[in-house]
Amino acid sequence: MFLLPFLFIATGLACFALFSLSTLAQAAVWIAHPPRIPVGWFHVHLLVLGWATMIAMGAVYQLLNVVLQKDVFSRKLGYVHYALYTVGTVGLLAGFSAGRVQWIAVFAALAWIGIVLFAVNIGVTLIRAGQWNPITLSTAGSILFLVLTGLAGLFMGFNFAFRLWPEWHERLFYTHMWLGTIGWFGLLITGFSHKMLPMFYLAHGVSNRMAYVVFGLWNATVLAGAAAFLTDAPFPAVGAAVGLLTLAVYAYNVHTTQIRKARHKKSPGAGVLAAVYSTRALAVVCTAALAYTLFAPERSTDERSVVIFGWAYLWGWVALTILGYLSKIIPFLWWTHKYGPRVGKEKIPAMADLLEDRYVAYGLALTAASLVMLIIGLGMDDAVLIHWSGAALSLSSLFYACLIGWVFTR
Amino acid sequence: MDTAEIRELLRQVYDPELGINIVDLGLVYEIQNEDGDVYVRMTLTTPGCPMHDTIAGGVERLLERQPGIRSVRVDVVWDPPWSPEMMSEEAKERLGFC
Repeated sequence: MFLLPFLFIATGLACFALFSLSTLAQAAVWIAHPPRIPVGWFHVHLLVLGWATMIAMGAVYQLLNVVLQKDVFSRKLGYVHYALYTVGTVGLLAGFSAGRVQWIAVFAALAWIGIVLFAVNIGVTLIRAGQWNPITLSTAGSILFLVLTGLAGLFMGFNFAFRLWPEWHERLFYTHMWLGTIGWFGLLITGFSHKMLPMFYLAHGVSNRMAYVVFGLWNATVLAGAAAFLTDAPFPAVGAAVGLLTLAVYAYNVHTTQIRKARHKKSPGAGVLAAVYSTRALAVVCTAALAYTLFAPERSTDERSVVIFGWAYLWGWVALTILGYLSKIIPFLWWTHKYGPRVGKEKIPAMADLLEDRYVAYGLALTAASLVMLIIGLGMDDAVLIHWSGAALSLSSLFYACLIGWVFTR
Repeated sequence: MDTAEIRELLRQVYDPELGINIVDLGLVYEIQNEDGDVYVRMTLTTPGCPMHDTIAGGVERLLERQPGIRSVRVDVVWDPPWSPEMMSEEAKERLGFC
């Protein structure tokens, strides 16, 4: 299983580079502006759909093969999924960029059909394998939330184009964001971490109990938040969802600590360490968000607070975790494809030889530092700091994308 | 080729993620050689190890190339489960064994 995950991962990396280049070319101007304008939608969806979701889909095809020790239901369906999702995403981004709402509606539908094919392919694979544990359950749940995220987005797209249900627009908007960020990304990352972390820490004998607690709390968080937004419930309902998210993140941190305590390898590599540290940071962010919700509820829902939390969650945890795990996923994918069949026949490089770990550490550290400065800039509404730190974030991201992409030439 | 020589040969097969050979990792449980029909019983560090086919396949390919070896059968087992205590001292040091 090489070509299918490779297509998604390579495309995702290219989109990541494009996001960074575009942000750099504009001196990060779009970050300083209110987000709900076409240039903001373009960049957010380039990051979330073109990069993060594209990479996550490739990782699912690759890692599920490892977890289940079985091939995906249909590789052909996977290629069709890739084609529809990619064309749909490109068209959607063009629609945002050009302000063409009909394009947004049509191409969003195409991307969503691609997502549905992905859900069918992985769903049948999981059902046939019949191996249910926190990893497979989280994968199934996350993909269901991805379908629902897309559906909410689709309804918003149609609403933009045809003004069908304007009174629902805001409800759909917040539900769309919650399902996508907390549901799709959150459940997938926590689920796959139950496999990735013990593997790279060489941790043995860690109980699954906490993983099930994380799974339960995370699902409760997604459903509570989605219900609150869809029903336009009073603010305490949203506060309760933030509280559940905080608990879920605490439980996830407890589980990562259990794994680290059971480790037999001193260092899992800079990328995996970055994923763990960003999880710790997420606990701090969620605690702050919860405190804000409880003691300053009106300020907690203003646009700037939501944007800051969005950056901290999406870049500070989702993106840094994906970038960190890519430092393992890509060398594994490439090494298995190029050198796996040559084991026992000739001298071949080890996986660690394909990617220098200290450069991974430098790249991720620079990225994290730039992000912290950017969040401070957003908090202080300091345009100069936002421009400079946004540019620094783009440069460090480009460096990291090139570093990771270089593995495919080794 | 006796079993000690085969065991020494298997030091050429590495866990590509850990960068340590499978003998020093303690993954090789048993080797038998009956007139050139070789049987290797081994394990991996984790059930569902992504390197399952690569490592087992590597053992087969390496041994099949050796003069005097007619056939190779590799059995990957999970009992007894691997534990880090099975590693050699050198391997433990390389991993920063905790």
